[in-house]
Amino acid sequence: MEYKLNYADTDVDLLRTMRPPGRIYWTILTVLFLLVVAGAVAWWSQIQTGIGLAGKNSPVGWAMYITTFVFWVGIAHSGTLISAILFLVRVRWRAAVYRSAEAVTVFGLMTAGLFPFIHLGRVWVAHWILPVPNFGGLWPNFRSPLAWDVLAITTYLTVSSTFFLVGMLPDLAIVRDRVKGWRKTVYGFLAQGWQGTDLQWKHYTAGYLFLAALATPLVISVHSIVSWDFAMSIVPGWHSTIFAPYFVAGAIHSGLAMVVLLLIPLRTTFGLQQYITMHHLESLAKFIIFTAMVVGFAYSVELFVAWYSNNPYERAIFLYRMTGDYAWAFWLLITTNVLAPMLLWVRRIRTSIPWLVGLCVSVEIGMWLERFVIIVTSLAHDYLPSSWGLYKPTLTDSTIVIGSFAWFFFLFMIFVKVLPAVSSWEIKEQIAIPPKEERG
Amino acid sequence: MTSERTILGVFTHPDQLLAAVRALRSAGIGEIRVFSPTPDHRILHELGGKRSPVRAFTLAGGLAGLAFGWGMTIIPLANFHLHVGGKPLVSLPPFGVVAYIFTILFGAIATLVGMFVHMRLPRPQLHAEYDPRFSADHYGIRIRCGAEEAEGIVKLMKANGAMQVTRSRG
Repeated sequence: MEYKLNYADTDVDLLRTMRPPGRIYWTILTVLFLLVVAGAVAWWSQIQTGIGLAGKNSPVGWAMYITTFVFWVGIAHSGTLISAILFLVRVRWRAAVYRSAEAVTVFGLMTAGLFPFIHLGRVWVAHWILPVPNFGGLWPNFRSPLAWDVLAITTYLTVSSTFFLVGMLPDLAIVRDRVKGWRKTVYGFLAQGWQGTDLQWKHYTAGYLFLAALATPLVISVHSIVSWDFAMSIVPGWHSTIFAPYFVAGAIHSGLAMVVLLLIPLRTTFGLQQYITMHHLESLAKFIIFTAMVVGFAYSVELFVAWYSNNPYERAIFLYRMTGDYAWAFWLLITTNVLAPMLLWVRRIRTSIPWLVGLCVSVEIGMWLERFVIIVTSLAHDYLPSSWGLYKPTLTDSTIVIGSFAWFFFLFMIFVKVLPAVSSWEIKEQIAIPPKEERG
Repeated sequence: MTSERTILGVFTHPDQLLAAVRALRSAGIGEIRVFSPTPDHRILHELGGKRSPVRAFTLAGGLAGLAFGWGMTIIPLANFHLHVGGKPLVSLPPFGVVAYIFTILFGAIATLVGMFVHMRLPRPQLHAEYDPRFSADHYGIRIRCGAEEAEGIVKLMKANGAMQVTRSRG
């Protein structure tokens, strides 16, 4: 897409996000910080007392923590899709939104990465999963998807952070050239001496292409590996080959909705409607329609496979999901995740900001519930009826989960003020330069 | 006293910059450094030069990661013959997942290293002739030449639309 702007105005407009914040910003940031502290206190209390404080016990040993872990890893995927995959296929509208989407990736992973520690119970033995031998020469079990998870999430965070910061170098140079005093020193350090020479641009564009090419397979692989935490077990409702594409589609679905939810206040608060246009939001909404249909199809295939397989345990778990103790969650997720996003087919709805916000929140609720239903119902109701048992959230795990949401938004709010949230140099690349005579 | 001169021309339009670069190349000026707020592939093409070797770093890193991933999962088995569930000691599918992850990780890190090496970053001090307008909406051409060539280069730049040309020693 072509922007009818000029280079100088672009810098002024886009760096507006980094101006000193007002009272509303500080109020929201304080509330988020307090929620994070509440989550930290709850976690400390859990470390002192034990994982039972979070309601995790036999048979439901995994519940809200793994649900939220998978949720945040999923959220992270759309950022890489928008920044890396859309870059490779030369989708030009990505320029205004990819920086925020990448921030969603990095902060989503930083949030998800807390949960392996949180749900571990004995946090002090977390180092046992690292790929180094212990004193007896024993290595972690590399056949386990839990070990793959550690490597995959760490790799994804490293590669995404690299892509995020490298993509920002020219914009950090713009900030360096506009500020004074200690800020100039800080941004000068972050810009690493970038000057926009022909040599730098040549190697930068080449390297950026390869980073995008390397990040792209991670979009598919990381959430596939996370899904195999479940699919490689024999628990009914988990042991299915559909899990990898099912989880990846769901990840992109939730991630796109989160990106929309963050772009809308960003553009409204800082007056960036010329840059983050309705075309961007509409394009993302169309993507969401597609992912909602894929997720809906995946749900139907799961049901079909359970019936067609004639496996009584598979059939039983799906019947339990639809009619059992957590049926309310199942039907709510179908409504919020698949049915509600179908309203986006109506142009008036997908170009309406309030509707977009409502439907994206609906998708987030639905995607969280999807993981909750998969995990909790299968553990609550597996092979042996005498082992069946229910899970109820407790104050501890609920506080920690809410704290994780607060942590994510806290990080994003800091990012908006400290780093350039929209890529100025890529927007400039798309500005139509008027002929020489008009510039005078 | 050095007879070398540094000439910096500042332009406001990329077409003028391109014309100036072409004129300077036609005049046989070899070492041209261009500053721009965005990459301009016409300029990069005009300046010529070899393809970026960053790709070699990516390939080397990826191959190293692949080897490391397989090595890390297979070599320790020599010390610990622990058969799990009757499965083979060297299980290629799960170890392949680990190798795949390390291929990407090492490839990305190597790409970053390659980029920084070739971009000559980090750079504690900017070029003396760097102008902050180059990150905004102006373009620059820097030439290092002998004192006798300087006048001709200045004239060429002005003839091709330079709004400002500065000369300095060294």
